[in-house]
Amino acid sequence: MLRCALAICAKDLRLVLTRGAGLAQALLLGLLLVFLFSLSLDAGERLSAQAAATMFWLASAFCQVLVFTLLYALEEANGARLGLLLLPAPIQAVWLGKAAVGLLLLLTAQAVFVPAIFVFLGQHLGPGWPLALAGLFLVDAGMGASGSLLGALSVGQAGRESLLSVVLFPLLVPLLLAGIRLTALALIPAASPDLAFAREGAGSWLGMAAAFDALFLAAGLALFPYVYSGED
Amino acid sequence: MQTRFFPAAPALAGGAGMACCQWLAYGYAPLEQTMGLAQKIFYFHLPVAWWCFVSFFVACAAAIAYLKTRRPAWDMLCAAAVEIGMVCATLALLTGSVWGRHSWGVWWTWDPRLTTTLILWFIYAGYVALRAMDMPPERRAVLGSVVAIAGFIDVPLVFLSARLWRSIHPAVFASRGGGLEPEMAVAAIASVLCFGLVWLALLSLRYGQMRMAARLDQLLLKNMSDDDLAA
Repeated sequence: MLRCALAICAKDLRLVLTRGAGLAQALLLGLLLVFLFSLSLDAGERLSAQAAATMFWLASAFCQVLVFTLLYALEEANGARLGLLLLPAPIQAVWLGKAAVGLLLLLTAQAVFVPAIFVFLGQHLGPGWPLALAGLFLVDAGMGASGSLLGALSVGQAGRESLLSVVLFPLLVPLLLAGIRLTALALIPAASPDLAFAREGAGSWLGMAAAFDALFLAAGLALFPYVYSGED
Repeated sequence: MQTRFFPAAPALAGGAGMACCQWLAYGYAPLEQTMGLAQKIFYFHLPVAWWCFVSFFVACAAAIAYLKTRRPAWDMLCAAAVEIGMVCATLALLTGSVWGRHSWGVWWTWDPRLTTTLILWFIYAGYVALRAMDMPPERRAVLGSVVAIAGFIDVPLVFLSARLWRSIHPAVFASRGGGLEPEMAVAAIASVLCFGLVWLALLSLRYGQMRMAARLDQLLLKNMSDDDLAA
């Protein structure tokens, strides 16, 4: 199953990176969101760490929707879903492969969003960044697992981006809250009195992100065969 | 669930019970010292909030049963439970908002229970949006079931994360100290139980409607195919 998942991951990664248009759209949308939000600031004004972290995760969430819609549209555009279903492996390999490639693309997009947060929203890297980085990986893993499960839901539907957003965003709330709190930790300056308080709660938020990951990894394994089938 | 007993019996019993609960709320339970008459909202807010959670639990259980058996009846029960749950969640949010205005001076604030209810409302609004989409009934039922299950298993995390964020909700049935006066607790518990009968009546009524609509669709298709054969 893992070999098939890796093969799907490599195939999708090659397709997305060689065509490029889909990922570029997701990147541009995220960047635009961050830039447009910077218009709310007066000259020289600095956004709070929590607000900047919220913008970062909002951009990431929209990016996630576009990435997973794109990944599941690859087979649909070529009428190749049945081919994928005939893989000599459990169908969960498709879910795992798409989750892995979605996670890689999301991390790529975030590598662009992070400098944008520093430049447009006037943020600086604080001493809490190692915990925030661990949080980022945990939250992204959860976004990959849930995005891959629910991304398959909108396969072949008109208006699939909006459908996926409406279904996915409310489910992501615990993960996004954890992401916001942990990312804010990296943006709080060393001299700020909020830093100690933020560090104190970091363990609970890391636990929350890990619990979400575990829940949606299990849900993906159990529910994906129902979502991704030959039915239209 | 559409029998001679359902939904008439629970509707009648629930209606009579809710009428008695009005006496318990306004005549038997004492007036709350700080909130006054506005506190009486609580005897409606609590039942709708509890039965909203029960609705979503029933929807999740019916969704699991549908995925296991593929019997359309389970899908209809799931859809009916979600719709009734949405009505209860909307009422819980509205009454909670009025309560918040009197108690905390704002129409809306971040509170774990309020926020969890709102997020549940959004999750199941997604379910309703999904069901409204144009797709084959079986596919719609499967996707709806997956969303109903994913939504319900997410609830504990939504609640815990909202509580970690911050909380100001009163502890209604406190384990130690605080909480309700005994008369108020009696009125509240009676309201919850009686509203349960109203909930059961609404659920069975909506379920029956869905079964009838499916039956009519079947008859229409059969008539159309008979006409085609005759032509």
